[in-house]
Amino acid sequence: MNSLNVYLTIGAALFSIGLLGVLQRRNLIGMLIAVELMLNGANVNFMAFNRFLAPDPTVGQIITLFVMGLAAAEAAIGLSIILALFRRLHSINIERAQQLRG
Amino acid sequence: MRWMLLGPEVYTFLAALGFLGISLAGRPNSGRDHLAALCLSGVGVLLAASALSEDAILFSEVYRVDLFSQVFKLLLSVGLFLIVCICGEVREIREENRSDFFALIFFCTLAMMLLVSGNHLLTLYLSLELSSYSLYVLVSLRRARDMGVEAGIKFFLVGIFASALMLFGMAVLYAMTRTMNLNALNGALHGMMGQPLVLLGVVLTLSGFLFKLACFPFHLWVPDVYQGAANEVTAYLAAVSKLAGMAAILRFVASVGQGGADLVQVLLVFSVASMTLGNLAAITQQDLKRLLGYSTVAHAGYVLIGVLTLSASGYASVVFYALALLVMKFTAFLVVVKVAGNGTNLHINQLAGLHRRSPVLAMALMVSLFSLAGIPPTVGFTGKFLIFVAAMEKGHFALVLIAMANVLISLYYYLLVIKAAYLLEPEGETGPIAVSAPTKVLATALVGAMVLAGFYPYPFMEIAQAAVGVLP
Repeated sequence: MNSLNVYLTIGAALFSIGLLGVLQRRNLIGMLIAVELMLNGANVNFMAFNRFLAPDPTVGQIITLFVMGLAAAEAAIGLSIILALFRRLHSINIERAQQLRG
Repeated sequence: MRWMLLGPEVYTFLAALGFLGISLAGRPNSGRDHLAALCLSGVGVLLAASALSEDAILFSEVYRVDLFSQVFKLLLSVGLFLIVCICGEVREIREENRSDFFALIFFCTLAMMLLVSGNHLLTLYLSLELSSYSLYVLVSLRRARDMGVEAGIKFFLVGIFASALMLFGMAVLYAMTRTMNLNALNGALHGMMGQPLVLLGVVLTLSGFLFKLACFPFHLWVPDVYQGAANEVTAYLAAVSKLAGMAAILRFVASVGQGGADLVQVLLVFSVASMTLGNLAAITQQDLKRLLGYSTVAHAGYVLIGVLTLSASGYASVVFYALALLVMKFTAFLVVVKVAGNGTNLHINQLAGLHRRSPVLAMALMVSLFSLAGIPPTVGFTGKFLIFVAAMEKGHFALVLIAMANVLISLYYYLLVIKAAYLLEPEGETGPIAVSAPTKVLATALVGAMVLAGFYPYPFMEIAQAAVGVLP
């Protein structure tokens, strides 16, 4: 087992755990954390491919930095919407948000 | 005149910053804000029109200014201007949030302008996220907070899920080709499209664009968000933000898709599912905005037909359809905003007797819905005709047949709405709707444009063909 495969396995594992979490959890904070795991899985992949495969040694690292910044912004927006929802429903369970239906 | 290269983007950015400053200064005055937004977006249209012929590749090839991007930037500016026209009184957004509202729609338009020019997967990803973040907040701003926040959280969850899938797809593509630049991808992927990993990367990367376009696996947010957001925000979502999605998916598929028979199959499944689900679900809807939301899902399916032809004529038909959708959707939402004067949601029954309460709005509603359904001689018919012809050229007979059946289904629910507006009698006594003179002029002009472009589409077809000429 060479080193690239180790990193790819970690990346894929993080991504799969995140995917499972998004689909299975009903707690909004839990879903947010799960999506962050998916993003980090992709980030590990970028770094690993960059380290072991790519000729240009900066592309993957730059992408990872940008994604970390985006993930922070995403968490801020998400948490503020979740907070607003909690003030209304007194719950962060997504199943409680069922007012919109046709 | 090299500074005109980034003219529309820099201008929109400065305008958005201006509104942010007004918002920070903290003296709410919605009349002043609306006037400023109207002037700024009007000048923006002129600026985008004068930047139409710019052509360059900037910032070590991550950003591309060409006729394709400039045409879409002009369409986005026109869309922004039209939306600002109906935002005089955004009753469902609180007075102190009005300048934030204008700042956010300008930021969102800026992000979409960056998106249509993106020539690197990272540029596409960043601008897609920036526009989505603005929209998450815009949707959540509705005064009836229960609805707005619920719509916002659903929009947010589907959005970040799609963007995480997209990022993983980009990582796979990066591993296979060792590049993220669209031009380089086009060369590197040549002959590799048969490999399962490449197909996986492309399809996962597409998920972000499909979310933007409200297409099949990522359409779940559409009806709830359309219903839950303020009417003006929904109009912006439906008319303007779809444009950028179409442009991005066109540029991406044109760059990576060549020779991808499997990719065409995947897109075909998404297209059929999107059309059928959208149209069938729309039949039972009673809330007009929800109905238009499902019709958006169906239209995303028609757009994908043009994309999956992988031919210049198909791409040109999508650009033409983008123009048509902007006008049709905006006219329909103009009627929604004006009829629901106090900013609440509009039930289809509430349209009863509209032809007497406001003949102009009733006519605008009828023409826009006929156009969405694709009845000649409206621009919607011409757009669908061009897409179907392009698909027939590539031999997708079954797909066109399914699309035709879908057009018939869609006619049913559009006619239900028109029947409510023209044939139903209102239950109680309802007075005429006060429509200002500029609104009447705007509605008449839009109706004229839809019919005229249906009769005489050639100039727009030529622009569309020239625009897709620069795609690889």
